[in-house]
Amino acid sequence: MLEATTAEKDVKRKGLHYLNIREQLTGYLFILPAFLIIFIFGLFPIAYSIYMSLFDWGIVKGKFVADKNYIMIFGSWKNLLIILVGVGLLIAAEWVWKKAFRSNKNGEMIAKLLGAVVLLAGGGLFVTGWMQMAESGNAQFLNSLIVTLYYALGTVPAEIILGMVLAYILYQEIVGKEIFRMLYFLPYVTPSVTTAVVFQIIFSSRDTSLANRLIGWFGADPLKWRFEPKPFLNLLGINLKGFLAGPSLALISIMLYGIWSFVGYNTVIFLAGLGNIPKETYEAAEIDGASKWDMFKNITMPLLSPVTFYLTLIAFIGTFKAFNHIYVMRTPSAGVSVVTASLMIFDRFYKANQYGVATAQAIVLFLIILGLTFAQNKLMSDKVFYG
Amino acid sequence: MVNTALDIASAAKRKNNRVGYYLGKAILYLILILGAVIFIFPFFWMISTSLMTLGETITRVMLPKVPQWQNYITAWNEAKFSKYFLNSTLIALGTIAGLLFTSILAGYAFGRIEFKGKNIFFALFLATMMIPESVTLIPNFLMIQSKIIPLPGGSWMNTYWALTVPFMANAFSVFLLKQFFAQVPKELWDAARIDGADHLRFLVQVVLPISKAPIMTVLLFAFTGAWNAFQWPLLVTTKEVWRPMMIGLWNFTSEAGPETHLLMAGAVITLVPILVVYFITQKQFTQGIATTGLKG
Repeated sequence: MLEATTAEKDVKRKGLHYLNIREQLTGYLFILPAFLIIFIFGLFPIAYSIYMSLFDWGIVKGKFVADKNYIMIFGSWKNLLIILVGVGLLIAAEWVWKKAFRSNKNGEMIAKLLGAVVLLAGGGLFVTGWMQMAESGNAQFLNSLIVTLYYALGTVPAEIILGMVLAYILYQEIVGKEIFRMLYFLPYVTPSVTTAVVFQIIFSSRDTSLANRLIGWFGADPLKWRFEPKPFLNLLGINLKGFLAGPSLALISIMLYGIWSFVGYNTVIFLAGLGNIPKETYEAAEIDGASKWDMFKNITMPLLSPVTFYLTLIAFIGTFKAFNHIYVMRTPSAGVSVVTASLMIFDRFYKANQYGVATAQAIVLFLIILGLTFAQNKLMSDKVFYG
Repeated sequence: MVNTALDIASAAKRKNNRVGYYLGKAILYLILILGAVIFIFPFFWMISTSLMTLGETITRVMLPKVPQWQNYITAWNEAKFSKYFLNSTLIALGTIAGLLFTSILAGYAFGRIEFKGKNIFFALFLATMMIPESVTLIPNFLMIQSKIIPLPGGSWMNTYWALTVPFMANAFSVFLLKQFFAQVPKELWDAARIDGADHLRFLVQVVLPISKAPIMTVLLFAFTGAWNAFQWPLLVTTKEVWRPMMIGLWNFTSEAGPETHLLMAGAVITLVPILVVYFITQKQFTQGIATTGLKG
């Protein structure tokens, strides 16, 4: 009797074991086709890029040069070190500002003073390192990073704010909501090359171009738009120099395209996010006599913050990836003022055939994206409310 | 007495409120319409210009006097769209077929099967969404030329495979389908298993028929992605054989030169398939991205 049951159990266990292996194998088999393609074309190339960046690689592989391609970017490792220490101090300053000396009576005062000092030191080091890099390293690539930064700062906040405002309005009782949503989303789904070709003509330097006619209504003289390498602020008569001069008018034309094509995406996602906020929350607030603005500030904004965070991240990464529309809208006369990092790397590779240099630049760009994503996560995680 | 006084007071207040209410609504609609005009105007302007004569594009008119429909025929012929249109269609179809195959299987496995290392694999998949093309582009270019690992048939430059195979799987589609498949009730699987079905049969006979919405979303994104592809085809096609629509339009920008009416006609042509697909399925489209956007 007893023996029989153990034998039975044994068979059962073996059977289960067999089933389990079968289940596991099915799992692996099912993901295999997708994994192969994603691995070969998405993951393996990262490792191979690092490998390539260590060689003097033209169209064919040359000799091993170790860190030479990276030195060409930074000038020297010392410059990079100065910048990294600067960044480290900036992070430390934030920590000191918020957390240090809390136990002391005048702690907060001391912490803020010290934080400010550390902040200045960090900023100073960062700028020093950057200037040295620009002098002895690859000024063109560094400039492309600044152009990318302008592009990101000029588009991401505008896209987020406009998207949120339109979504919030659409979320009220609006007749034709579906139609508005469909129209807003249109620029996002249509091919970027096609719409960029249209914007090419809208922002042409002709006196009769649409952009010039539009500013003509306000009595302004025609501008050169996509063909204008001068910073926009200089055109307004504000003669700032260097980084503070800001983006060129050509880059601003491209930014306007970027905002136009991306706001609809944010609107749709925000709208879905608003739909997830329970209606009772608003009703309760209304009974308590909260105004529309109070409700927006104290209910909508916090409950929407995970969506805002996600969209900011996506948009930020997107600016580093942006290629098609910039490639289509750029002009020779705008020169490097519109060349973002992704275009710079593409030109190095496609036009100059310097594969080794281009991969080194791509790896640096990738590390910057990782760093910024990480920083954004840290900075915003305090402020994101996950219910 | 007191009651009526109160009633009158509150009625007056309500009336006041109503004026404010309508004023507020009017402002909201004004903003929405202004937004719509800004989003739509470039399209209107493109279509309007595409129907003008060369003279009209230079003068300050908004609409053509007589629509020049033959511009479309001229643009189609001059830009050699017959070849490019066919290429893009075939590329889109191949990509979609491959992508649906890989992502349905992987989405199912991640959503419904327990196997070792599942989370690690899934994380690896998702990580690819953050990687900029700049990093993968150059090795992939060498890969396609058969310079890293030998490919079947040697170099894939100027072939159909170079334009389709790398896009036959992506993390986004796997993620989207996984989300949906994971929600299929467990009871259905238990019932199917009692009937002797394995995972593959359950997937094909039970899960797929109820998953039309997410599959449509994947399909639509694959279609727009393939149709809009520009950077990669620019690299891997040097001859006309497999050049797609967007490269055709890009080349046409320099060929058309000052003839903006023809260029805009070409632009409209490249847009039509996307618009048709979008207007038919826009609900699934917007819903699809909304769900992935929120859960991503």
